[in-house]
Amino acid sequence: MDDYQTEEETVFVVEEVSKIIKESIEAVIGGNAYQHSRVNHWTTSVVEQCLSQLSKLGKPFKYIVTCIIMQKNGAGLQTASACFWDNNTDGSCAVRWENKSMYCIASVFGLAI
Amino acid sequence: MEEYQNGSEGSFNSEETDGIVKECIESVVAGDDYSQSQVNKWTASIVERCLTQLVKQGKPYKYIVTCAVMQKTGAGLHTANSCYWDTAMDGSCTVRWENRTMYCVVSVFAVAIA
Repeated sequence: MDDYQTEEETVFVVEEVSKIIKESIEAVIGGNAYQHSRVNHWTTSVVEQCLSQLSKLGKPFKYIVTCIIMQKNGAGLQTASACFWDNNTDGSCAVRWENKSMYCIASVFGLAI
Repeated sequence: MEEYQNGSEGSFNSEETDGIVKECIESVVAGDDYSQSQVNKWTASIVERCLTQLVKQGKPYKYIVTCAVMQKTGAGLHTANSCYWDTAMDGSCTVRWENRTMYCVVSVFAVAIA
């Protein structure tokens, strides 16, 4: 029982992180249409907001947050990632979001210290 | 002077990584046109190759490699990264590559193991 509680602190919890990412994306671009002049600001806001929510969790992790925003015009986009880490403690979570005019893909990688 | 050389071994060398990543991209997609059926295979190959080359260096790092391949149709694409880590030891490197029909953006993040 005690061990389980200790594990909770040092294991990457995908659900929790997924919620944080979704909320950050919605807060920044929910309801907006793709605008070339603003998208730079949006990507940085999404990653910053995710990162500050994640660091508030207070877990002994290093985080890497990436965000891609692409205009919808029929182009194909494929992303992949590979990780060399400790399978027991580290993890990642990617969230795909879209609206009428753009796609947003945000990923969080958490590495235990 | 001595400290500088020690620093090279103990912190992330982004020039070297840049070279490794470029070679991996070229070996997988140079000379190819964007193809919906192959792009899945390409992104997977690029990240695997990069990771293998990086791990071969034998440095005490955990690595994350991401790759995005996008067809050239005039659409806008923006990416951003933010990292919460040890700025002295950890580092990242992003390589942008393109040919006539597609863009490829590969990022490597290296996190030092204590």
